[in-house]
Amino acid sequence: MFGAGAMTNAIDEIRDSEMMFIIGSNTTEAHPIIAMEMKRARQRGAKLVVADPREIWLAEMADLHLQLKPGTDVWLLSAMAHVIINEGLHDQAFIQAHTENFPAVVDKVQAYSPEEAEQITGVPAEDIRTAARWYATTRHAGIYYTLGITEHTHGTDNVYCLANLVLMTGHLGVRSAGMNPLRGQNNVQGANDAGATPIYFPGYQKVTDDSVREKFEAAWDVQLSPDDGLNLNVMMKEMEHGGIKGLYIMGEDIVISEPNVSKVERGLNQCDFIVCQEIFHNETTRFANVVLPGACFAEKDGVFTNSDRRVQRVRKAVDPPGEARPDWLILCQMARAAGYAMPEYPSPKEVFDEYASLTPKIAGISYERLQQNPSGLQWPCPTADHPGTPSLHLDGPMIGRAPFQAVDYRPSAELPDDEFPLVLSTGRTLYHYNSASQTRRDPGPVAKQRENFLEMHRYNAKQLGVKHGEKVKVLSRRGAVEAEVWVSPRVRVGCVWMPMHFAESRANLLTNDAGDAVTGTGEYKVCAVRVEKLGCDRG
Amino acid sequence: MNRPHQNKKATQTFSVEINGTKCSAETGETVFNVAKRNGIDIPVLCHDDRLAPAGACRVCLVEVEGQRRLQPGCAWVVTPDMQVTTESDRIEKHRTVLYNLYMADHELDAAGLPVETENNNQLRELCKTVKPMKLAPVNAPRDARPADNNPYIEFKPDLCILCARCTRYCDEVEGVNAITLANRGAETTIATAGQRSLIDTSCELCGGCIDTCPTGALVEKKSPQNLVQLDVATTRTTCNFCGVGCQMDLHTHNDRLVKITSPEPGQTLNDGNLCVKGRFAFDFVHHEDRITEPLIRGADGQLHPASWDEAIAVAAKGLLKVKEKHGSDSLGFISSSRCTGEENYLMQKVSRAAFGTNNIHQCAAT
Repeated sequence: MFGAGAMTNAIDEIRDSEMMFIIGSNTTEAHPIIAMEMKRARQRGAKLVVADPREIWLAEMADLHLQLKPGTDVWLLSAMAHVIINEGLHDQAFIQAHTENFPAVVDKVQAYSPEEAEQITGVPAEDIRTAARWYATTRHAGIYYTLGITEHTHGTDNVYCLANLVLMTGHLGVRSAGMNPLRGQNNVQGANDAGATPIYFPGYQKVTDDSVREKFEAAWDVQLSPDDGLNLNVMMKEMEHGGIKGLYIMGEDIVISEPNVSKVERGLNQCDFIVCQEIFHNETTRFANVVLPGACFAEKDGVFTNSDRRVQRVRKAVDPPGEARPDWLILCQMARAAGYAMPEYPSPKEVFDEYASLTPKIAGISYERLQQNPSGLQWPCPTADHPGTPSLHLDGPMIGRAPFQAVDYRPSAELPDDEFPLVLSTGRTLYHYNSASQTRRDPGPVAKQRENFLEMHRYNAKQLGVKHGEKVKVLSRRGAVEAEVWVSPRVRVGCVWMPMHFAESRANLLTNDAGDAVTGTGEYKVCAVRVEKLGCDRG
Repeated sequence: MNRPHQNKKATQTFSVEINGTKCSAETGETVFNVAKRNGIDIPVLCHDDRLAPAGACRVCLVEVEGQRRLQPGCAWVVTPDMQVTTESDRIEKHRTVLYNLYMADHELDAAGLPVETENNNQLRELCKTVKPMKLAPVNAPRDARPADNNPYIEFKPDLCILCARCTRYCDEVEGVNAITLANRGAETTIATAGQRSLIDTSCELCGGCIDTCPTGALVEKKSPQNLVQLDVATTRTTCNFCGVGCQMDLHTHNDRLVKITSPEPGQTLNDGNLCVKGRFAFDFVHHEDRITEPLIRGADGQLHPASWDEAIAVAAKGLLKVKEKHGSDSLGFISSSRCTGEENYLMQKVSRAAFGTNNIHQCAAT
């Protein structure tokens, strides 16, 4: 964050926290090893505040659980800012030295009193006050969040609200504090860093910046497009409107993991040509004209970059099966077949060297240095003698001033009504991973979680006349799936929750593909559904 | 790894004497920690730096000046000018009796030593250092869990020394309290509630109990039972599941993955820990469902095997045809946050340099 788009602090600092504010992250299930650090901090006496619509395990061990209604984060966080400002708990010196636009937030949050927030979020005003006071008055207090914050049409607003809290309390450049988005996949950070985004070349260098583009044109010996590309959410929609006619998909089952997948399927049917590079056949390869067999992590060399900006080596241990090839090799061959003179890289090392030479943030990282550093190197690492940066902004002020963002609450795109009275949120579980093409091929995760389920409060279950373990039909405006009901005290009345892992019962047939205005991230966390009892003949 | 910041109680630095050598120590440190840092090896079985000291195995007993009895080095907190002896006749005598008592209650091999196990039976190594007393075997009918059908973790009671590292790991690190010491006296064992299968308990199958067990009483069901005799290579790599970035060692035999373990605690950011997915969910690597040859969809609508040259040519031609007909920006490139940094770099280069579009995004973007 704050210019970096990653955790500001390092994972191993968590154990020394004095307070953790975890919002929209089911850390014990989605990031089990980071959760171990949180548990360790808790055992050492750190305060723990968890904001989540579900009573997740971390909430059970928390000092305070703010069980907000899904999609009301802006209200909760603005009310916390309201308390901090009106009680004078903000860090005036830090604000003056390192930020701008604070008065706009002071004005904005006046309308967000804890009492009104209680009406909207369902969180008692006194709890909001307590959380705000603890956060503002504890020095080593870190914010940890995941997709519960970002997978909303107002995801960016949520992030701004969190950033406002960090800035007004000066929780930046302090160990075991900061603002820490936990990345969901092994190399989300690395994929962004490497420029797999429509608006940036590697290292967050803008494609619209002429001097940057000239640098890449010279390095790659080719003319490059000066226009921002389409983000994934827009690409998915454009397929149906004819804007996207061909796709090259490497390692994603979009027909399981994108929101509103029946629309994605209609779009794929209208494409002229689709290439899939995969390790398993999945729902998406059904649409492919060509399927190229890639290699999994154990079969190739390279690097992954984790949530705390740590570049670490991936090393080949076994050969890919049959004729499958490492993905880097396939990509080079594709480029040459398309007429581009891609260099003959002998190994991923030479690819990395080229990537690092064009990317100042990681310019000091090399395979040799990674070999010497068993726990990796954290960027920024601009030169070969730079030790890497575990915690950002520790050595003084940031470059420039961090702007506060005054944010208005906007409701989620689809709210419950008479026809679809329940709010569905989706997410991950400990035992499976995304489209589960890997974890459902192992006996342990399958023994723990065989098939799809829907968590529901007993009040709603009673109203519907369904019992724990009973199969039901879940319908939204976009589709319907069947799942087992789990009557659970974890969810709020009026809310249901479903994992996204099961191909035969895809949660993303239900979810809303309305995207965040800035990032295009889909609203996986809030959509309106109805649950129907299945007929007795269906058992 | 990072040192903790000094925001807690003020720590004091002072010196203590171990085996006549002056060592620097800090408030709250144990004899074991100070000795280890100063290169003095105190044998221990029940200690793991991630756990609170238990003083259970009695292997690490040392002489502390002014103390009538031997004291456990793993739990004894140093004070300024403390004098400690870690090797003496008295300690030697204690260890001889202690190890022989352990041997009387342990599965032994033909040579009369604790059996070799997959996880390196540390008791075996210790017993090699003392004279065998050939005590009569102890009758300790510890319960196993024969009906536990979990696919990953097996408990062998004959190899257990009841040091409780596994149960303490389960409580203190993983925090799920799935296993516990149960029963009394010679019948004491490691149990689940009602001896249920780990699948039906709060166990999250992280396998940390296997990793911390010093004698191999907890073993992986997945890896070949004779792994200890096989020629196994290890490769250090990064886990391919979530964004934590745990380091792991892939154990391979005959080009097959047979086991995954974590590096020692303290070395990497996962501090010796892994989760169920990282440690165990690797069957997919050698799964029969893997795609093993390039495929091209024919006029019949089915995918047919093809050579690499053919498949690459058809794929590139297909995408170029779209570009010709509808322009570069009618192509979309979806990269993968599961693939390496180099591959993401190449994918965006393919998209931008070879096909001329910035329509490139990685899969985790929505």
